[in-house]
Amino acid sequence: MRKTALNTVYELAKSNPRIVFIGSDLGHKTLENMQRELPRQFFMEGISEQHIVGFAAGLAKEGFIPFINTIANFFTRRALDQIIIDVALHNLSVKFLASGGGMVYAPLGPTHTATDDFAHVLAIPNMNVFAPCDAIEMEELVINESSKSGPSYIRFGKGGEKIVSNDFRIHKSPYIKIQGDLSSEYAIISTGVLTQMAIDAMNSLSSPIKPFVVHLLKLNFLGETSLLEIIKGRKKIIVIEEHQPIGGLFSQILHYFHANRIDARNLDSISLPNKFIRNYGNQNDHFNNWGLTIEVIVEKLGA
Amino acid sequence: MDYRLRALLEPTDATGRELRKIILKATSSAGRGHIGPALSILEIIRCLYDSVLIHDPKNPNLENRDVFILSKGHGALGLYAVLANNGYFDLSELETFCKFNSRLGGHPEWHNLPGIEFSTGSLGHGLAVAVGIAVAITNKQQSNRRVYSLVGDGELAEGSIWESLLHGAKHNLDNLCMIVDFNNMQANGSLDNVLKITDIPKKLISFGFKVVEINGHSINEIKSVLDFKPRGGRPLAVIAHTIKGKGIRISENSPEWHHKAKITEDEVELLLGSMY
Repeated sequence: MRKTALNTVYELAKSNPRIVFIGSDLGHKTLENMQRELPRQFFMEGISEQHIVGFAAGLAKEGFIPFINTIANFFTRRALDQIIIDVALHNLSVKFLASGGGMVYAPLGPTHTATDDFAHVLAIPNMNVFAPCDAIEMEELVINESSKSGPSYIRFGKGGEKIVSNDFRIHKSPYIKIQGDLSSEYAIISTGVLTQMAIDAMNSLSSPIKPFVVHLLKLNFLGETSLLEIIKGRKKIIVIEEHQPIGGLFSQILHYFHANRIDARNLDSISLPNKFIRNYGNQNDHFNNWGLTIEVIVEKLGA
Repeated sequence: MDYRLRALLEPTDATGRELRKIILKATSSAGRGHIGPALSILEIIRCLYDSVLIHDPKNPNLENRDVFILSKGHGALGLYAVLANNGYFDLSELETFCKFNSRLGGHPEWHNLPGIEFSTGSLGHGLAVAVGIAVAITNKQQSNRRVYSLVGDGELAEGSIWESLLHGAKHNLDNLCMIVDFNNMQANGSLDNVLKITDIPKKLISFGFKVVEINGHSINEIKSVLDFKPRGGRPLAVIAHTIKGKGIRISENSPEWHHKAKITEDEVELLLGSMY
């Protein structure tokens, strides 16, 4: 997913000299072709995230479209002030490519696991927040974002995810995608790579309890009226998220329910905890530990 | 004679006194304001807009303009007074300072007011943005454009400034100028007492900047140093020795007048009477 995003930036930059790539201290040979062929559009700037975000804002102010990549937390925690003031306050077209969303970096501990990134960026006016589910969706998103004004935060998964986005149906908004039978009374709402688990959970069930899956590519959906007809009146809706329950997808859904006066008694969620996670292991170990599994989803659906 | 003493002894001229009256009028109207920082940087900003910057008050987005970012946004009153004096907006608007519907807040906002290039207030931001603009200008091959960022000496305590200094040198930005308002005074008191920072010129040279020191209240010195030609491959740092609260005896070198959230009419009269 990350490789796809970065290569897409490189491909776009070939024909648009205003598109630039900025990295902090990314892995050896990252985008080496771009560095060699488009040196004026490639910046590897070292471990100085606060500066890099302001630097990107300066480039964007002069008409460039910077795509910046580093680990999610080093944006949303280390450089939050710069993201808010230098980029969002000025509504500049800086695109944040956030590696290691959720528990991808579980073995590296709580400094690296991004379990609160959505909470930080969703609170920022002007910021568009995205979590693609696979490489194809990522490529489409990066292409689209390269021509859209304003800042964006794009959360990456681990990489190598199964391609599932080809089977989505767009539901009125390009950011609201459906798989399954909308006539079902059961639904799973997800974003990012967890949508893959939602689809697997759906496929493990059969009618009448077989749910449909709503994949929300963009987390700023509070103004999307088309979501209302999908979720209203269902018998059970499960929200799954690779994020703590405060400030992420579930919080957004709760706001949406409240704003649209939808009865939330049939709404349930599976999130990571609102605490510093002290265990290591891998992403799947944490999914299993915190109930982000097909089995728990099925159980919560009441099957 | 050392720079600080020269800055202290530097007389203010008629324009300097007029701008100071404008600033005091704004603080009188609002009943608050950062007086000390505004007076410290006043001659620097005045020289930039009167004599150095390529800019057009009638066309603030002039394609080939120089760019000035007031990284120490709390000096806003100094910038407002100079911008108004240059015709960006009417001088009378200073009287709306900090009022609910005003375009003139306690810190400068780009979307409010023509002539403000970038919103600042949280410290340690302006230089990074200036570096980004300077790189963009270089990429666009706009070889005559220059970028200035004015930072406070207290602001040098922000680590992000030192990140940006490394980057300014890395990119050989000879179109970039960082001006340090070096008055050795911050909100709480002297830098030496709050967070001592020694050998600033040596530090900046070691970071790869060309460094020039000036008396930051001398019109001639400011003009001659700031009106530089982008060449030589090294960014410029100008250490401007200034006096916090310059031009008004009772506010000079006084942390008490760094910022006041309540300024009475009597105090404004006292300040006016102490102007020289």
